[in-house]
Amino acid sequence: MVSAGSIVEFRDVSYGFSEGRPLFSRVNLSIRKGGYYLVQGPSGAGKSTFLRLINRLEEPLSGEILFRGRALSSYPPPLLRRSILYVQQSPTVIDASVRENLLMPFFFRSNAHLERPEDGRMKGLLQDFLLQGIGLGDNALTLSTGQLQRLCLIRGLLLSPEVLLLDEPASALDTESARVVQSMLERMNTESGVTALMVTHRTPDPGAVIPVILKLGHGRIKEEAWNMESWR
Amino acid sequence: MEHGILEIGPGQLALALVFILAAGATSLYHGLKLERDLVVGTLRTFVQLFLLGYILRYIFHLDSVWPVLGVFCFMIVFAARIIRTRVKEKQVSFFWPILISMIISYSLVSIMVTGVVVGARPWWKPQYFIPLAGMLIGNSMNAMAISLDRLLGELRKRRQEVEMMLCHGADYGEASRDMVKTAMRAGMIPSINSMMAAGVVFIPGMMTGQILAGADPVLAIRYQIVVMVMLVGSTAVVSLLGVLLVRRLCFGPGHQLLIRPERPGGRS
Repeated sequence: MVSAGSIVEFRDVSYGFSEGRPLFSRVNLSIRKGGYYLVQGPSGAGKSTFLRLINRLEEPLSGEILFRGRALSSYPPPLLRRSILYVQQSPTVIDASVRENLLMPFFFRSNAHLERPEDGRMKGLLQDFLLQGIGLGDNALTLSTGQLQRLCLIRGLLLSPEVLLLDEPASALDTESARVVQSMLERMNTESGVTALMVTHRTPDPGAVIPVILKLGHGRIKEEAWNMESWR
Repeated sequence: MEHGILEIGPGQLALALVFILAAGATSLYHGLKLERDLVVGTLRTFVQLFLLGYILRYIFHLDSVWPVLGVFCFMIVFAARIIRTRVKEKQVSFFWPILISMIISYSLVSIMVTGVVVGARPWWKPQYFIPLAGMLIGNSMNAMAISLDRLLGELRKRRQEVEMMLCHGADYGEASRDMVKTAMRAGMIPSINSMMAAGVVFIPGMMTGQILAGADPVLAIRYQIVVMVMLVGSTAVVSLLGVLLVRRLCFGPGHQLLIRPERPGGRS
């Protein structure tokens, strides 16, 4: 972790699909800037919803979520989502080349002022994520799910977000690729101070960064220190 | 045929019922069980059209702008209600946006056609305004229903794609641009197709009516061309306005897509 101080804060946040059965009930939580979090919980506990609340794809029924001390609603949504980037569970691409997919976000109005990455940078990232066999001109729809997962992660990283929300980023990856993804994320976390929250079912190897565990269940979110036993 | 229309008397109207009897006999013979619908349909045709005839005659007689506008608004509200029943969507209430877009675009096109193109004086002259506006509303109502149905269907089907774009800094307009295009095309294609087929595959209804009423076919054709062009124009304007207004309702204040896959107890 780079520093203390919270970057995202939940204040009495409740959320549910129906009034009677809340998914979260008056949750208070502080995500530290530069933290590395693993989100854990049984299926249906609201892991994806938790991430979607942070980038405002969902709105709480009551309570408030803050980003850098200000309510999420005080930011223009496109700007907020570029800073708090959510990578979906099922990798989604458009029917176009790998290059066009990676550059797509730079054509949105709110990102127009950002410098578009050169081919060299994109190729370098493909290589870092063990996708060296893939050309920038290849159609993205021809890639396997595991390759798409990494491509989508790269597309998000190119926007240099402050917070990364990853929904099972390695679910379709073999052990080696998953390890590479993990170490890349740890590097981003330690070197660039990116705050990362990751839903994952894999038992992580003790890596360069000691994660904090967020346990979801029974309408609550509990923060726990990492140890192998608690994970099991 | 002389100029002027041949009279159809009550006897002749009754004679026309022979066709319904033939249809009824077919239904009975083959066990189609359509007899009741045939009777109700025939009755409704008689009652509704006679009523319309008398109302129109009365309005023509009054020769005032207000009843004309009243009929115009009545037709629009009715069309909006029909669209509401045809487009099955529970999560977004779209009645008001389509009503507003219909009022704006139909007023614009109808006034332009009667007042400027046809040159009726005054622009609301009931003989011109009511039938032209009626054709406009009846035809582009279908286009609007098709467009909306497609828009909502596409947003639901391509939800992942929309959210992916939102997550990378797109606003709701950018994230749904493709779906709007698809919806607009779907709504406009039928009226473009009917322009292609006009006069070759079918003789359009308005022209048929005018020719039967003794008008010169070449004059009837001019009217028909105005009507068809007007239909394409109003279809485009009303679908675009309606689709854009309804699209805004599909997204929350934080540009989050509100349309969800149907699930029991799903939040709307």
